[in-house]
Order: sequence, then structure tokens, then C-alpha cells
Amino acid sequence: MVHLPSFAQNVRVAAAANLQSVIDVLQKDFKKKTGISIEPVVGSSGKLVAQISNGAPFDVFLSADMSFPETLYKGGFAAKQPVVYASGSLIICSSQNIGFENWERLLLTARIKKIAIANPAIAPYGKATEEVLKYKGILDEVKFKTVYGESISQVNTYITTGVVDVGFTTQSLVKDAGSKTDLYYKVIAPKYYKPILQGMVLLKHGVNNPGAERFYQYILSPAAKSIFASYGYRIQ
Amino acid sequence: MDLSPIWLTLKLAGVTTALLFIVGVPFAWWLSGGRSFFKIIVEAIITMPLVLPPSVLGFYLLLAFSPQHGLGKWLHDSFDVQLVFSFPGLVLASVIYSMPFMIGPVKSALQQLPAVLAEASYTLGKSRWQTFKSVLLPNIKPSLLTAIVLSFAHTLGEFGVVLMIGGNIPGVTRVASIAVYDAVEKMDYASANNYSLILFSITFVMVIAVFVFNKYQAKSPLG
Repeated sequence: MVHLPSFAQNVRVAAAANLQSVIDVLQKDFKKKTGISIEPVVGSSGKLVAQISNGAPFDVFLSADMSFPETLYKGGFAAKQPVVYASGSLIICSSQNIGFENWERLLLTARIKKIAIANPAIAPYGKATEEVLKYKGILDEVKFKTVYGESISQVNTYITTGVVDVGFTTQSLVKDAGSKTDLYYKVIAPKYYKPILQGMVLLKHGVNNPGAERFYQYILSPAAKSIFASYGYRIQ
Repeated sequence: MDLSPIWLTLKLAGVTTALLFIVGVPFAWWLSGGRSFFKIIVEAIITMPLVLPPSVLGFYLLLAFSPQHGLGKWLHDSFDVQLVFSFPGLVLASVIYSMPFMIGPVKSALQQLPAVLAEASYTLGKSRWQTFKSVLLPNIKPSLLTAIVLSFAHTLGEFGVVLMIGGNIPGVTRVASIAVYDAVEKMDYASANNYSLILFSITFVMVIAVFVFNKYQAKSPLG
């Protein structure tokens, strides 16, 4: 009889688009600590939720907000109630050094032709951006300059390729892409938008996968929290 | 329901098809005559959108249209034109994307016409252009219609390229296929279904119309 070494099962993680860069670091750190491999699938939270509710075989879901994991929990797709693992930080960002001291005024000038934001109807960072623009009283005035990314990743593409003059995105972009392209940015003060609480759920599919539970615990551990913090996320 | 994505899609398909007809038919005529290595290369390039993933086309157009460098910068600096995230940009992308559907059928039809047809016309003293317009084109009507309908329908079905260079702006670049995608993401399946049903009906009627017309044409003495 052949004795097979018992490899731990891989863990499939559905991760919100804003986690694009940080998930790689988490994946490596988790692998180093536990030997368990993660297969991350990154996409907009809305799309991932639609896939999960239609039977996609994911074990853990890291959302960009709380309402999507809540929906999954209520729909019976999650094993536990959602928990907050980080909160997002919104920045205004550009591939050109245009100076952000007085950015709300700058957005109104002819110098800025296109502004990228994530689709507010489906992306939490887009919703936060609208709140900021509304608070500053310029939402309607900049509407004609606004282009909508289907997720925060597309906004990042628009910023880094320079097809837009500025964009509103996650702070984790500058940590990752900042090493490859010059990016200029300013952190938007958190008082201007409702906190972007990002929630996680262990999915029904992951209940019988011990690796899934370990990854779930890992994300809430100090090690993961310090990685999130280094990418600009706020940690309770 | 917001019908603007449907109107925008029809407008995009209409403008694209009209431009393709004006540019594509003479181009197909040029391609149909004689063989040279140069023509093969040109035809290969025109046919590429048929097999290339739309994301490849979208990615290159995004780079080409970027006001930061190259073509996009030149257009921006010289004419203050920005193609990315604009309706004209979508038209240009659609013209490239649907080009094979206009050129293909017209070119093959012209090649299959008996050579005597054009020769007789030249013998009677007609110019090349007159021959093309009044002798050749009327003889390939079914193929012209097929080319027009396919170009139109293919533009209606455009998604990947628009997703990459459109920016989802209501009334400007949010075409019906994007509206469906958007509605699905929002889990608003009722709207997704409405848009999808409209697209389905339009394309179905168009394809049926081509089949019926071509069947009728086949019975004509020239067929």
C-alpha cells in the first residue's frame, strides 16, 4: 500500500478588488507560517457575492464592506457572522505631480479633465468618494468629468496609465504600484466619509476545510493586522 | 427603466456601421482585386479583431488613447481631442472591432463575381468607379446586406473593449452590454433581464431578416 503524505487542502479565498496587492503578501506570510497554500480570486465584491450565491466554491470571503458579507450570511452561505478585519483608507491620486493642497478647488479647474472613481453603486470606495465630494459640495460640478471603474482595480489602471488626471482609490495602491510608477497622492481625512469597514466571512464551502478556519483566524491575528496597517488600512 | 443605454447602443452601432460602409466597401473592392504580399498583410491585420481577445484590443487602445503619451498626447495637444472615455473613442474602437464583418462578406462576394461582368462594362466605356457602383455593387446586394447587418449586430454585442476604454459614463459610454454587467453586479437581475431581452430581440429580428432576404434574393435571376 502506498502511503501518501497528507497535504493540507488549498484554501480558495475570494478577495475584494482593493486587496489586490496586500493579498499576495498575506498569502506568502500565511504559507510561511502554516504551509497551507491560498488560491486568491480578486474581483469586485459585488461580482464575488453573485458568484458565491450561485455556488462558486470559495472558502473565505474578504469583502470591501460589511453589507455584502451580511447578505451572504443572511442567505445561508456563510458559516459565521461577518467580522471586520480592516477599514479602508481613501486617497486622491495621480500619475502627475499636480499638487493636492487644495484638491477640491483643483478638481473644478480646466486643468483636470477626467476623474476616476469606482462605481458607487457596487464599490464601497466609490460610495465613500461620493460622500466626500458631496461633503465638499462639488459632487454635481465634477459629475461631467467623472468616469466610473467597474471596480477599484480599474480605477487603479486608469490612474497608473494616465488616462485620467486624478482618481480616488485605496491607499494600498501607492504602496504596491508606487514602486513601479511615480504616483502622487493625498490621504482623504476619514471625517469626510463613513468608515469603509471591510468584513470577512467563513463560507459554508470552507467549513470542512481546516485550512480555511486557520486562514480566517490568521486574518484576525496581529501578524496579518500589521501587514494590513503597512498597506494603509486602519486596524481597530 | 432607464432606456438610455439601449439608445446609446443603437446610436453607436448605427454610426459605426455607416462609417464602416463608407470606408469598408471600397476597401473590400481594393482587396478583392489581384494578389500581393502587401494585401495579404493588410487583410490579416483587418481580420485580427475576429480572433484577438477584446481585452487585448482594449488594452492597446487604452494606451494609445492615453493623453500622457504617443497618439493620445498628440491628439490632446494638437486638437484638444480626448478619445478615451468618449463616444468618438467608442466609435473608433467599434470600427476596428467590427471591420472584418464588413470587409469579409463584401470581399468574397466581389471575388466570386464573373470577371466578364466588369470587362463588359469597361468595353462599353464605363469607368472603374461607374462599373463598381452600377454593375458590381448591385450584383452583390445580399452580401452587402449581410455585411451591414453583421457589422451592426457585432457592434451591439461589443463588451470587452467598451469595458476597458469606456468608463461607464451614463449617456456617453454606458452601452447596453455594460448596463447588463452593471445590473448583474448590483444584483438587480430584473434590469439585467430587461436589457438582455431587448438586445436578444433586436439581434434575433436582424438575423432572421438577413436569412429571409437572402433566401428571397437567391431566387432572383442574378442569384
